[in-house]
Amino acid sequence: MARVPGQVDARATVIAALAFILAVALMPAGAYVAMAAAWLLVATAGALRGIAPLTLARRGGIVFPFVLAALPLIFIRSDEVIWEGLVGPFSLHVSGVGLRIALSALLKAWISVQASIVLVATADAPTIVVALRRMRLPDAIATSAGLTIRYLELLRDEAQRMLRARAARSVSPVGVGGERVGGSIAWRARTTGNLVGSLFLRAYARAARVEEAALSRGATGSLSTGSLPTADRYLGVKVVAAVTLLLALSAFGQVVPRL
Amino acid sequence: MHLPDGFLAPQLALALWVATAAIVGFALRRLSASSDEASAAQRPILMGIVGAFIFAAQLFNFPVAAGTSGHLLGGVLAGYLLGPWAGTIVMTTVIGIQALIFQDGGLLALGANIFNMGIIGTLGGALVARSIATALGGSRVATIAAAGVAGWLSVMAGAGVTTLQLGLSGTTDVSIGLPAMLGIHALIGIGEGLITIAALTFIATTAPDLLTLGAPTRASATRRILVGSGISLLVAALAALFASADPDGLQRVALTLGFHTAANTPPFELFPGYTIPGIDSATGTLLIAVVGVGIIFTAILLLSRIAARRGRQ
Repeated sequence: MARVPGQVDARATVIAALAFILAVALMPAGAYVAMAAAWLLVATAGALRGIAPLTLARRGGIVFPFVLAALPLIFIRSDEVIWEGLVGPFSLHVSGVGLRIALSALLKAWISVQASIVLVATADAPTIVVALRRMRLPDAIATSAGLTIRYLELLRDEAQRMLRARAARSVSPVGVGGERVGGSIAWRARTTGNLVGSLFLRAYARAARVEEAALSRGATGSLSTGSLPTADRYLGVKVVAAVTLLLALSAFGQVVPRL
Repeated sequence: MHLPDGFLAPQLALALWVATAAIVGFALRRLSASSDEASAAQRPILMGIVGAFIFAAQLFNFPVAAGTSGHLLGGVLAGYLLGPWAGTIVMTTVIGIQALIFQDGGLLALGANIFNMGIIGTLGGALVARSIATALGGSRVATIAAAGVAGWLSVMAGAGVTTLQLGLSGTTDVSIGLPAMLGIHALIGIGEGLITIAALTFIATTAPDLLTLGAPTRASATRRILVGSGISLLVAALAALFASADPDGLQRVALTLGFHTAANTPPFELFPGYTIPGIDSATGTLLIAVVGVGIIFTAILLLSRIAARRGRQ
C-alpha cells in the first residue's frame, strides 16, 4: 500500500535524503558495486512510494548533460592509457583513470537526483518547508520560501501568457519556418526586458495587495505554516539508525573492490 | 549552471555549505537590523512574491547568437529591486527551491550553487554594480548601465567559479573547461546584462518610486576593499586547502590533443608559467588565478573610489 504524502515525518525524509546523498558523494571513484547497492536502496524507497524503478531511473536522466564537464578528463589524463590512436589529424588516447572519474561522477549525480525525486514524492513542497523550519531554518528564509512556492504557479502562468503574447505579435525568437524574426539583439533584449519589468510590476502590485490584506488581519510578518502533518515521536532514534546505515553504506564503498 | 550532486568533492561541497551559511546568516542579520519601514527587509510577503517572480522571469529568453540563448538568472536584478541583502535571501530561497522541489541542482551541491549564483551573483553583483554606478557618477542612466555590466560579470564569475570548483574536485580539466565555460557564458551574460538593463529601465520609467529600494548607499570604499579581499582570501584558502588535500585530482598533465599546442605561446605573459601545458601542477595556476582575481577586484574598487572622488570635485 502506497502511503500518501505527509504520513512520514518530513524531517526524517529530509535527513535521510541528505545523509544518503552524502554517503554516495563519499564513495570513491570506481566503487561501482557500492553505487549499485545505493541505487537499489533508492529504487526500493521509490518503489515504496509507488514510483517504478525505470521511471525513477529515466527521470534521473536530467543530470546526464553534466557529464560534458568531466569528458575532457578521459582524453587528457595520461595515466592508465587503455586506448591510443589517431582520430583524423589528432592523436588521441583514452585514460582509464579519466574514464573512471567521469563515469563515477555521472553515476553519483544520477543516483543522488533520484533520491531528491523520491524526497519530493514523499513530502510535498510546503511540508518540506515546515520540516526545514522545525530544523532551525531561519524564519525569513522559511517565510520567503513558503510564499514563493505558493505564488510560483500563478506568476509562471502570467509569464507564459506574456510569452504567448510576444510570439503572437511576431516577436518570437524563431519563426515558423525556422527563420529568425524580430529586430536586432538589442531590440529583442529590450522587448524581453520590458516583459520582465512589467511582470515585476504586476508581482509588486500583488505583493502590496497581499500585504494589505495580511496586515488588516493582524499579520506579524512571519508566515504561519502550521504544524507538521505527522510528527514522529521516535524521530531521533530513526534518524540515528538511518545515518548509521548510510555511513555503513559509505564505508562499504571504501572497502569494496573497485573496477 | 546548477551543479548536480556527484561532481563536487564532498569536502569542497561541505566547505561551501559552511561559507554559504555564514554569509547568508550575515545577510539575515543585516536584514533584521534594518528598521526602515518601507525597506524590503520589513516586507517578508514582498520577498516571497519577488522570489516567485524571479522563478517566472527565468522563463524569458531570446537568442543572442547561433545556438546560444540569452536568458535571465535575475541575481543582479533581485539585488537592485530589493537591495543586496534582501536580494541575496530571495535568490538563496529560489535556488534552494529549485534544488529541493525541481531537482535543478543537487542538495549537497546546494551550498555551492547558492554560493556561485546567490552570493557571487546577487550580493557580489549588487555590490560591484554599486561601485560602478558610483564611479560613473551615480545618475539614473549610470546606475542602470552599471546593473547591466554587473549582470554580465555575475554570469561570468558564476561560470568561472563553478568550473574552478569542478577542477578542484578533479571532475573537470580547468585548461579546457574554463575557456569553454567562459566563452559560452560571455554570450549568455550579454543576454543577462541587456535584459537587466531593459527591465530596470522599464521599471524606472513606469514606477520610478520603486527603484529607490535599491538605490546606491554610501558604503565606505575601505570597507568594500576589506570585504572583497576577505572573499578573495577565503577562496584562495579553499583552493590551497584542497590542492594540498587531493594533489592527484589536481595533477595537470600535458595536453596531447594536437590543436592545443597552438596555445603554448600566448602573445604576452602576465604571470610567467600561466600557460596551458607548461606546468605540472594546477595548484599554482589556481592560486595565481585567485590572487589575480583579488588584485583586479581590489583595483576596480580603488579606481572606483578615485573616480568617485574626482567626480565630486
